[in-house]
Amino acid sequence: MLVSWKWLSRYVDLTLPHDELVDRLSLSGLNHEGSETVDGDVVIDLEVTSNRGDCLGHIGVAREIAALTEQKLKIPAIEYQESGAAIDESLAVENKMPEACPRYTARVIRGVKVGDSPEWLQESLKSVGIGVVNNVVDVTNYVMMECGQPLHAFDLAKVGDGKIVVRSGKDKEQLEAIDHRHYDLNDSTCVIADSSDALAVAGVMGGASSEVTEATTDIVLEAAEFVPLSVRRTARRLKLHSPSSFRFERRVDPVGIDWASRRACQLITEIAGGSVAPGVIDTAPEIPARETVLLRPKRVAALLGLEIETAELDKILRSLGCEVSAFADGLQCVPPSWRHDLTREVDLIEEVARIHGYDKISENSPIPVAPSSKRRFDTAMERIRGVLTAAGISESMTPSVVTEKLDQMISPWTELPALQTRTSMLEGARTLRRSLIPSLLQSRAANWASASLIADLFEIAHVYLPAPAGSDIALLPDETYHIGLIAGEDFFALKGTIETLCDRLGVPGELAVAPVQRDGFAKGGAVELSLVGDDGKESLRLGFLGFVDDKLVKKWKLTGRVVAAELSADVLVNQSRLVPQQQAVSPFPSIQRDLNLVLPESVRWNELAELVRKAAKERLADLTYRETYRNEKVDGPDKKRVLFSMELQSQTETLSGGDADSIIDKLVTSCEKQLSAVLLR
Amino acid sequence: MLGGIEKADKPAAGAKLNAVKSAINSAFEGAQQNLAGGDDSGSDPTFDPTLPGTRPSLGHIHPITQTISHLTEIMGRMGFEVAEGPEVEDPWHNFVALNIPEDHPARDPLDNFYLATAKDPSGKSSVSAGDEGSQLLRSQTSTVQIRVMKEVQPPIRIISLGRVYRPDAPDATHFPMFHQMEGLLVDTNVTMANLKTVLRVFANNYLGEDVEIRFRPSFFPFTEPSVEVDFLWNGTWIEFGGAGMIDPNVFAAVGYDPEKVSGFAFGLGVERLCMRRHGITDIRDLYSGDLRFLKQF
Repeated sequence: MLVSWKWLSRYVDLTLPHDELVDRLSLSGLNHEGSETVDGDVVIDLEVTSNRGDCLGHIGVAREIAALTEQKLKIPAIEYQESGAAIDESLAVENKMPEACPRYTARVIRGVKVGDSPEWLQESLKSVGIGVVNNVVDVTNYVMMECGQPLHAFDLAKVGDGKIVVRSGKDKEQLEAIDHRHYDLNDSTCVIADSSDALAVAGVMGGASSEVTEATTDIVLEAAEFVPLSVRRTARRLKLHSPSSFRFERRVDPVGIDWASRRACQLITEIAGGSVAPGVIDTAPEIPARETVLLRPKRVAALLGLEIETAELDKILRSLGCEVSAFADGLQCVPPSWRHDLTREVDLIEEVARIHGYDKISENSPIPVAPSSKRRFDTAMERIRGVLTAAGISESMTPSVVTEKLDQMISPWTELPALQTRTSMLEGARTLRRSLIPSLLQSRAANWASASLIADLFEIAHVYLPAPAGSDIALLPDETYHIGLIAGEDFFALKGTIETLCDRLGVPGELAVAPVQRDGFAKGGAVELSLVGDDGKESLRLGFLGFVDDKLVKKWKLTGRVVAAELSADVLVNQSRLVPQQQAVSPFPSIQRDLNLVLPESVRWNELAELVRKAAKERLADLTYRETYRNEKVDGPDKKRVLFSMELQSQTETLSGGDADSIIDKLVTSCEKQLSAVLLR
Repeated sequence: MLGGIEKADKPAAGAKLNAVKSAINSAFEGAQQNLAGGDDSGSDPTFDPTLPGTRPSLGHIHPITQTISHLTEIMGRMGFEVAEGPEVEDPWHNFVALNIPEDHPARDPLDNFYLATAKDPSGKSSVSAGDEGSQLLRSQTSTVQIRVMKEVQPPIRIISLGRVYRPDAPDATHFPMFHQMEGLLVDTNVTMANLKTVLRVFANNYLGEDVEIRFRPSFFPFTEPSVEVDFLWNGTWIEFGGAGMIDPNVFAAVGYDPEKVSGFAFGLGVERLCMRRHGITDIRDLYSGDLRFLKQF
């Protein structure tokens, strides 16, 4: 909102220097955005919050200044003579859309001489960036910038049958506005029309056909109230935002409607001559009285933590236009008609606080001590970040909304179609991602493309798994934290990182894997990861790990192989034991044995490990896989040699070589039987 | 030792053994020479301690995460615990309970990421003005406050941190996705002076002992009075967020009696704090996934 120093001076003495004034305004609710000198006048740009439509005119801002500097506001007195035939002789108004236009008033001025505005008027409008048109239109704009009430003047001769109809737009109806562009009207558009045609988009812009020109002699002056939502929707739909629509969207002063109409009549007759027809057409002249609000000084102190004397409260509220009467329990206030935002005690408390000054509120009023603890989840996430960064993987953050194409590359958790936003977020992205892997893949590719950097990345963020079809429409999606990981080449390096993660979080039991087929992962190269549940039996799905499909890798112009994983943070945290418990260290020496078994290719390490555990039981202190090699010439086809080490130890005695031998014998026998293994000696 | 090795592997094993043997010998000789005083200068000329160290390859924690940890820690010392909620919300939590009525501009479909409905799964229909969806990406973390207040009774002292979404065209200071830290304190006898004190202590902790704070009146539907919070940092007042006393309508929506309890709420932009602290000049870098950026933190 631009206000001119000269213009403001018409309503209040500006006793403060500019810098101090704008500072005071900023600190009392009208934030200073900047000032400029235009033709010897200072124009101040103030930010007006959406609840303060009353400050969208110079009088409103002057009222604030008057309250801050303890002065009286000077509102111009309106005087003009009415003469000629009564308004009803020339004009009728029918309101067919009261839901969008609760009140419409009109006055008629006959015999105006349209021409240029006087210099003071032109200067005033130019200073606040409003174009000069002719004396009648300029007055309507001046009054709007004076009190905040938009007005519109029609050429009475162009109002068909002398009848104004407030109605909704018709199908395929168009209006050529005063900007000479054509706008489509529809049944949600509130239109000001005559007996047949649309003349204006209500509260937004007038039409070209009925605009006031040099040829105009008689005018209809509209001062109305249009509903904010209706005006906003129309302005948005037509991409037509005007100073009028801006003000109607923030509500106008119901009492000010008539004031503005009369003020314009006064200025027009003064400047352009003519005479005001006796009477006014007003579709809703009854203005409901404002309800009284009680302000209790005790509540002021209780909410602000600051005592303000009752006399001061009284003075501030009066200066803002409230009618105040003192009672035993507090001040009874009737808020002014232009302050729609003042309906409750707390609203009045804000008023006294901002005028009295927030700087007077103490900043040394500590809150009582209260214990707070860190969430288990946050402790776990910190530990996870520690492990992953120690593994050389960096944390990335990428947008939650991605393109549909990206989202569909890998979606291991669900096949249900992803949720979509109606408006796109970035470059056509409107899909709420179902997995973090595609975003990480994209980042890895971008790093490679831009700087030949091999980016091992992780991200901890929500994924949005749609609720199953047929479920309640109001049901929110299944939205939980996932940990996405992307790295290169080595499947086992990433698997090892995940194993370490589980280990560091105290997850009991082994990380189990089961081959799984998912689009975007290489065939046979992906596994589902699971953890043993609390009951020791149930298997909980932790996530997925695997090689990214080579086709995708190529599509992203990445070299080598890419390994990706995604874990459910909730499952991981639920199974964590974040406080490690000490395990007794055996004081007895351990015995290490290395074994080299020839096994059929189909035997998996976990089957072998299971037999080792069964054979050694509690005496197995450690089991380490060493390596696998294949020698078809010696061992025959589909065979492999697996070398591993066992550390055997007892908690209660020194294990003898004989004890160890018997464990190994037992193991070898069971391997021979169950895995068709052959021991290499 | 070579007895346990396959015949075919014996030559290779032998070679390995010899290599080990010669390595041990040379190390032994080297050690002997060093003990004897080495060369004339008394030190090993091949040992250059100014060569760079061999560094472990470590990953980096995202600066936003670091900021969030820091904020959580500071607020934790003042008794605030972390609470979280979903990012996909319904209009009741995101607007209605926060005293944002249907005709409020904040609810405009063009200012929010409403989700496409089941009727229009493609999500490709044009957005018609005034047509809200039943779900949207939250535009503020205040939704979490509603969820917490619906569930527990005062006293409440929480902060909620997380991603929020608003359709801003991306530039150096705007991104359609960003993080907010919202604080909420509800108890008996909570005052605006308490709010100012908490934010002042926060600013002194996070930005520096000499940082000053000021309130400027503002307007948020869910607080009354509402203020913008400025911090005086390096001689300039910088706006860091909004705050205020919880609006009685919000208390009514969650079933509290505004005559019995009072409370304050504040919201600070995490990116703004993070960028100031680390000298980051373009918000888009934060979400680029670019390792050249990430590895600086």
